[in-house]
Amino acid sequence: MLATFTKYYAAFTVGLQSNLVYRVNFAVRGFFSFFHLIVVFILWSAAYAGNPAIGGFSFGQTLTYFVALIVVQFMIGAFNEDYQISEEIRNGLINQFLLKPINYFAYRFSIYVSARLVTGLLIILPVVVTYPLLKDYLVLPHDWWRFALAVPALLMSALIQFGIAYCFGMLSFWFLEIQGFVILSMAVETVLGGQIFPLDLLPPWLYDVSACLPYYYQMYFPVALLTGRLNDFEVILAMLRIQLFWVVLILALGQLLWRRGLRLHTAVGG
Amino acid sequence: MTIAHYARIWFTSARYSIVRTLMFRGDFLVWSLVELFWMSVNILMVAVIYQHTSTVAGWSQYEMMLLVGTSMLIQRFLMGFFWSSIFEMGRNIRTGHFDFFLAQPGNLMFMATTRKLDPDGLINSVVAGGLVLYSAHQLGLHPSVADFLIYGFMVFCGVIIHYSILVLSISPAFWITSAQGIEGGYFTLSEFSRLPREAFRGVANIAFVWLLPVVVVSNAPASTLIHGFKLANVLWIAVITAVWLGAAVFVFHRGLRRYSSASS
Repeated sequence: MLATFTKYYAAFTVGLQSNLVYRVNFAVRGFFSFFHLIVVFILWSAAYAGNPAIGGFSFGQTLTYFVALIVVQFMIGAFNEDYQISEEIRNGLINQFLLKPINYFAYRFSIYVSARLVTGLLIILPVVVTYPLLKDYLVLPHDWWRFALAVPALLMSALIQFGIAYCFGMLSFWFLEIQGFVILSMAVETVLGGQIFPLDLLPPWLYDVSACLPYYYQMYFPVALLTGRLNDFEVILAMLRIQLFWVVLILALGQLLWRRGLRLHTAVGG
Repeated sequence: MTIAHYARIWFTSARYSIVRTLMFRGDFLVWSLVELFWMSVNILMVAVIYQHTSTVAGWSQYEMMLLVGTSMLIQRFLMGFFWSSIFEMGRNIRTGHFDFFLAQPGNLMFMATTRKLDPDGLINSVVAGGLVLYSAHQLGLHPSVADFLIYGFMVFCGVIIHYSILVLSISPAFWITSAQGIEGGYFTLSEFSRLPREAFRGVANIAFVWLLPVVVVSNAPASTLIHGFKLANVLWIAVITAVWLGAAVFVFHRGLRRYSSASS
């Protein structure tokens, strides 16, 4: 057990070092995310003009949702893991893992955790800088149970985020180029993950459909839980169970694709 | 070098890009769908917001759709005609492959920024144009031929302004070698072009309406269709197009002096 932990801890530290090399790129990305927040602020403040509430939520609550969304995205979002996995498959770099007692999923997950640790810490900087401007608008609920339930929700969201990226990376066993699929999927995730607008603003039937899909649990669910857009304790517990179902299903699919893909894989060279 | 000479070069490059696209038809289909889906995302956002409010900064739902359609039309043209070439320019400067363009028979900025055509972006400009026409129909507008011509001219100016901003975003690669991530900044800026000008107040009004013309380039043509021709708008767009293109040409050629081949 300890040996296993040491093995993946080594992968984690290597990932940490290589991600620290790109800290400026991540910081620039974080900076531009807050430009997106300006767009959100201008658009939604114009929409709220003359409307004290939209979908039952105030402007402050909606802005808090979008700020939390950016922070959570940098803490658990899968950035380019699918590309990295795809590159390793296409270039034959996975061959080295086939010959060693290393689980490829665990190896990639260790690197993902290290990358999110770096980006998660870097996003704190623009949050601190913009806090004086935002503080009058931010409205966070104070229920302790909300934060307690957000921990497993965030962990499972991270697994779904990484799991989906892993599955897309696995497609490289079958397709030479996966970029189109990835960006198409990203567009679906952006809408159904609640990154364009809070999903509770959708018509009720569409909201119910989205709540059955994995994208809902990728981002919207933990952020809505943290920012008070989801309030019914029983409903939240039921959603945690659905989230767990998706985690198991996506991880199982990843393993299936890995096993099937390896059958097609041809390792060339020494 | 005559215009005919440049037109011949451009048509040769365009023909090459189209032949290449036809070789990878599946890829073309997927990328066309990707662009179509991203456009649908913006339309969906407008539809959802207007389910909860009747007006945003004085713009009704279909006025907003027309604005979003205009913004997408400008962006699709930019994507179709210039994006791949300008995006690759940053990478070529970093790797030294930019040397290839130094030996080309023509203006370097023209050769480097117009080499590749993306038919998937251009195909979706039809969808963006369709959205503009549909919104105009829903608003009961009956623009004259002159209004359409002025609208077309303003969209053309918008494409040139976006082109200039993109060249200015990538040109720092001549100095700092890696301009990676800056193109992401361009996309963030383009988000502003889908917002009504009246929604900007205070510092945001100065920064995004007056200093950076991203809001005006989409708002001015959309307003021409909705409210009719205004000479001031046309002149304003023409002047800022000249200023931004001039700035792009100046910075690009300044940067070119700094270029030192990275290849062996």
